[in-house]
Amino acid sequence: MSDPFSINGGAAVAMVGKDCIAIACDTRLGSQSLGLANNFEKVFQMGKTTFLGLTGLATDVITLREDFRLKNNLYKLREEREMEPKTLANLVSTSLYERRFGPYFVSPIVAGLGKGGQPFICGFDLIGCIDFAKDFIVSGTASDQLYGTCESLYEPNLEPEDLFETISQALLNAVDRDALSGWGAVVYVVTKEKVVRRVLRTRQD
Amino acid sequence: MNATVASEYSAERHSVPIEHRFNPYSDNGGTVLGIAGEDFAVLAGDTRQVVGYSINTRYEPRVFDVGDNIVMTANGFDADGAALIDRFRNSLKWYKFDHNGKRLSILSAARYIQHLLYGKRFFPYYVSTLIAGLDDEGRGAVYSYDPVGSYEREQCRAGGAAASLIMPFLDNQVNFKNQYVPGSDGKKKKELRYLSLEEVIQLVRDAFTSATERHIYVGDGLEILIVTKEGVRTEYFPLKRD
Amino acid sequence: MNHDPYVWGRPDDAVYGAYNHAIANASSHGNVQEETSFPKMNSQQPIITGTSVNSIKFKDGVIVAADNMGSYGSLLRFNNIERIFKVGKETVVGVSGDISDFQQIQRLLDELEITEEIYDNDGGHNLRAPNVHEYLTRVLYNRRSKMDPLWNAVVVAGFNDDKTPFLRYVDLLGVTYGLSAICTGFGAHLAIPLLRQLVPDDKDYQNVTEEQAREAIINCMKVLFYRDARSSDKFTLVTLKQGQPPKFEKDLRCENQNWRFAKDLVGYGSTQL
Repeated sequence: MSDPFSINGGAAVAMVGKDCIAIACDTRLGSQSLGLANNFEKVFQMGKTTFLGLTGLATDVITLREDFRLKNNLYKLREEREMEPKTLANLVSTSLYERRFGPYFVSPIVAGLGKGGQPFICGFDLIGCIDFAKDFIVSGTASDQLYGTCESLYEPNLEPEDLFETISQALLNAVDRDALSGWGAVVYVVTKEKVVRRVLRTRQD
Repeated sequence: MNATVASEYSAERHSVPIEHRFNPYSDNGGTVLGIAGEDFAVLAGDTRQVVGYSINTRYEPRVFDVGDNIVMTANGFDADGAALIDRFRNSLKWYKFDHNGKRLSILSAARYIQHLLYGKRFFPYYVSTLIAGLDDEGRGAVYSYDPVGSYEREQCRAGGAAASLIMPFLDNQVNFKNQYVPGSDGKKKKELRYLSLEEVIQLVRDAFTSATERHIYVGDGLEILIVTKEGVRTEYFPLKRD
Repeated sequence: MNHDPYVWGRPDDAVYGAYNHAIANASSHGNVQEETSFPKMNSQQPIITGTSVNSIKFKDGVIVAADNMGSYGSLLRFNNIERIFKVGKETVVGVSGDISDFQQIQRLLDELEITEEIYDNDGGHNLRAPNVHEYLTRVLYNRRSKMDPLWNAVVVAGFNDDKTPFLRYVDLLGVTYGLSAICTGFGAHLAIPLLRQLVPDDKDYQNVTEEQAREAIINCMKVLFYRDARSSDKFTLVTLKQGQPPKFEKDLRCENQNWRFAKDLVGYGSTQL
């Protein structure tokens, strides 16, 4: 139980729909089996339609959230435009690889809509290897469970409302089978028109 | 305070004795799944046997009809699994000799298997055991065990390599967990109902194709044993072989 | 409260005193002081070893092959070991792994054959491959359960009661499986892919002729000789055919060897680029 990835617990997942994406996470922060907080969100908005999810060691989650907020703001000042999800993905990758031999213990995911509104999602390992996926990306201590639920519930080209139901069911049922995840959940559904953030009611055990 | 050290190199010289213990266990992969219906029960398992990254065989049955309308599987370390099932079959045979051919109820079978497993508490069978059949009222029953005999009757259970992938899917689709009546604002749970055999088989196939996709220890073939009051019947479906 | 799950539900040492680990031979949790005597020494490591056994089913029989070498580590210690032997009338057993354990297995099966011949003389029930395999499985599993294993991987070839070919594996842990092509050791990595080209599906052995099977096995022996450093090019090949006694061909050699590829090898201790 000295694995840095499973000290604090937490899970995140992203999915692609028809001209939309969804990204969701649980809100638990724990210290091994002890629950500390139920408001620890792991998905952060980096631009109008760009999101970053970070699971793993909570101190690294916070450090990287602030690091990427800084880099994102500097990018906006210099470029006078928003960072594309693909750009963010490469930024995450290179930033993590800079710490190749003393890594941050996180499993980031990126989701967003590109310039033309085309959906983009991807995931990373702790040293920045990018996993481009067409369907869904999972991360966190409930990743096994999420692979199971996503692989069997997901179908391509879902409308935003159906995508919301799918990602919510995938996340909720997965975290209920993981002792280190749960205690609330947040889902973002992103279309070209709007971003909808929903807070889910979950089991509290 | 280590008096011994582990080493891969037998020729290496040490000032303390080298400890190299024989490991009596291996992991032969595979995954299993049992679901109980109103008047039937199914026990399914994939047919791949592995050790490490090698596939030993693409067809080695891991779910067995052990008699008296009971099906059984012990998934994990195959040699232990086979030994456990052999022992149960043998006991059932002697039970019949001793009790004038009496049928063993699934309730009694379940308790007996607990004792088989706990009997090796200090050198356990490395298996997740499942049995399925019909109870005395004719309703479907699934019993699941941990390696040392702690057991429980359940509506459904996944065991083995991909149990963590399949189990949340089952919670959702069999016990309708996290499903609510539309428009009830999450106040009214979706009502539980028994699934038909066709629905259950479709669920099992979906669960295994998903597990095959994401787990290297699962694949090749899916064998489903179906218990009804008419007896045990087997269905086979191919799975991806990669 | 102590939040460590390890201590939940355990009797408090302050109240009951420390647990006596000698009860039921429970392990001492690394407390070396408690171990008064030297640990009991059982399981060894393999000393003289034999490498792969390769086998494949064909339409009306089975072919088994194994080379004749006994290695002592990396030393070529023996070159005259016959690792395939006959049990009963129509069954052969091929053994890889420790040679002394193999000889023990051989003695056990010779004994089994004698007792079966004495007690089963009604003519109808021969000692067949499935019976030999089941017996061996129990022997190997019981030895591993005593933490004193017979360090072998074994292939049993022969015929079922209904005369169809039988081929099944068992190893030092008691793990078993059946297949139309079985190789132990290095063969499981190098030879199985070659043999599975002939029998992609288990039932495909029915379309394989004896000549095809023989050619494939001989090719496997050559490939293994190229890449398995613990193998030799002298081997024994046994052909089992329905209704005939097993045909042993001893002192076969890998023919038409071609080592031209060797000069292009780079790394692994040979010349560097």
